[in-house]
Amino acid sequence: MRSTGANWFTILPAAVVAVAPSAAHATVYMSVEQAQQAMFPGAKFIDRSTAITDPQRKIIARASATGDVPRTQRLWEARNGSGRAGWLILDRVIGKHEFITYAIALTPDGTVKRVEILEYRETYGGEVRNARWRQQFVGKHFGSQLKLGGDIQNISGATLSSRHITDGVRRVLATYQLLLRNE
Amino acid sequence: MSDRITRCRPLLGTFVEVTADSDPAIEAAFQAIARVHDLMSAHAPDSDVSRINRFAHEHPIEVDPQTATVLERALHWSKQSAGAFDVVAAGAAAIRSGQLPLHPGQPKPRAAHWSWVEVCDLTVGFLRPGCMDLGGIAKGYAVDRAVAAMKALGALSGLVNAGGDMAGFGPRSWPAQVVQPESRRAIANVGVSNGAIATSSLQPDGSAGHLVGRAAGLVSATVCAPSAMDADALTKIVLSGSPAAGTCLKQAGAQAFVLTAEGAIRAIEPELEAA
Repeated sequence: MRSTGANWFTILPAAVVAVAPSAAHATVYMSVEQAQQAMFPGAKFIDRSTAITDPQRKIIARASATGDVPRTQRLWEARNGSGRAGWLILDRVIGKHEFITYAIALTPDGTVKRVEILEYRETYGGEVRNARWRQQFVGKHFGSQLKLGGDIQNISGATLSSRHITDGVRRVLATYQLLLRNE
Repeated sequence: MSDRITRCRPLLGTFVEVTADSDPAIEAAFQAIARVHDLMSAHAPDSDVSRINRFAHEHPIEVDPQTATVLERALHWSKQSAGAFDVVAAGAAAIRSGQLPLHPGQPKPRAAHWSWVEVCDLTVGFLRPGCMDLGGIAKGYAVDRAVAAMKALGALSGLVNAGGDMAGFGPRSWPAQVVQPESRRAIANVGVSNGAIATSSLQPDGSAGHLVGRAAGLVSATVCAPSAMDADALTKIVLSGSPAAGTCLKQAGAQAFVLTAEGAIRAIEPELEAA
């Protein structure tokens, strides 16, 4: 193994690095409306967002072995000419360093059809764990803070695990079983 | 250039971003990646890889041509690196650390080695009970397949980024940043132009479990290569500090740099022909 000067990469000067804030990577991929059209093309959507009571939250947490069951779940019934086309459920997960909004499309019988990430925020300044920081997203119209189609920062580094999404999907399926299956 | 679209889905245990000019190209790329995920995930009990891990020590297992391709390339790099890259050692380590489950009927792997695997056309056998984890190479392969799928649809440009393993094509270079694994602070700018780049690190999110024989003093390794599959595998060989790294890089037409524990960036030159 030999070391040499190479020109296919540029080392960022220490000065730039020193003044840069802690790395924060935020991307909006899709709006809710775009996700609806992508996952159920041509369908009509009825807002069926629902509150989840504390006893229900306990059941869902137990059934899915996940914590952090939200008090409300935003969801839509997708309908086309022949009836119910499925469900679109909007969900959020909070990891150690990331805050992710995503949409799950379910078939009428409750099978996962597709999962799309709508917004990914990554932060290494500790804000994710701060409840007040979380609170600022509550009630915000989704996607209002970041413009779509901005410059995408392509990042290569440590692989980020999508385990939180897997847990979130399991929790949403438990929510479906409890609240939507017999609808 | 027409409007570029970027979409992101959770696949291959990470976040996969696809950028292209049209929805059909993006859909084709995700389909290609989902196919690799379904074949090679060691988490799903009925994937090719899990069937190998459960039964290949008893009888040969028939696999999809894609799985055979990845496995053959993995064994190639194991041999070239004298085991610095080893999907069987990685699998045993992942079981030990609890990162991979033991499926019904799956034997607990003991001390394990890549040379226990036999690939013959589309069948795979284990000479002794073992467990393979293709996580260190299949992600790169999935990226290559996604690029091929977009090109097959006539896409003129595109970029696929599977958790830092990326490949791009088109008339211009795609700008990317290599980050320090823990702080995510940008350490280098690179351009991805009709080729691939991959980074592996010893740091968070469990990715260290894949790495066997890690070299002291290195934090991450970044490899630029014509194929993402090779770039993915070579990051592990470079990060291990294997003396074969230079030869392997040359063979793949690749280049590399490492981030050291002291924060320095050092280029690794592909070995020249022996003088």
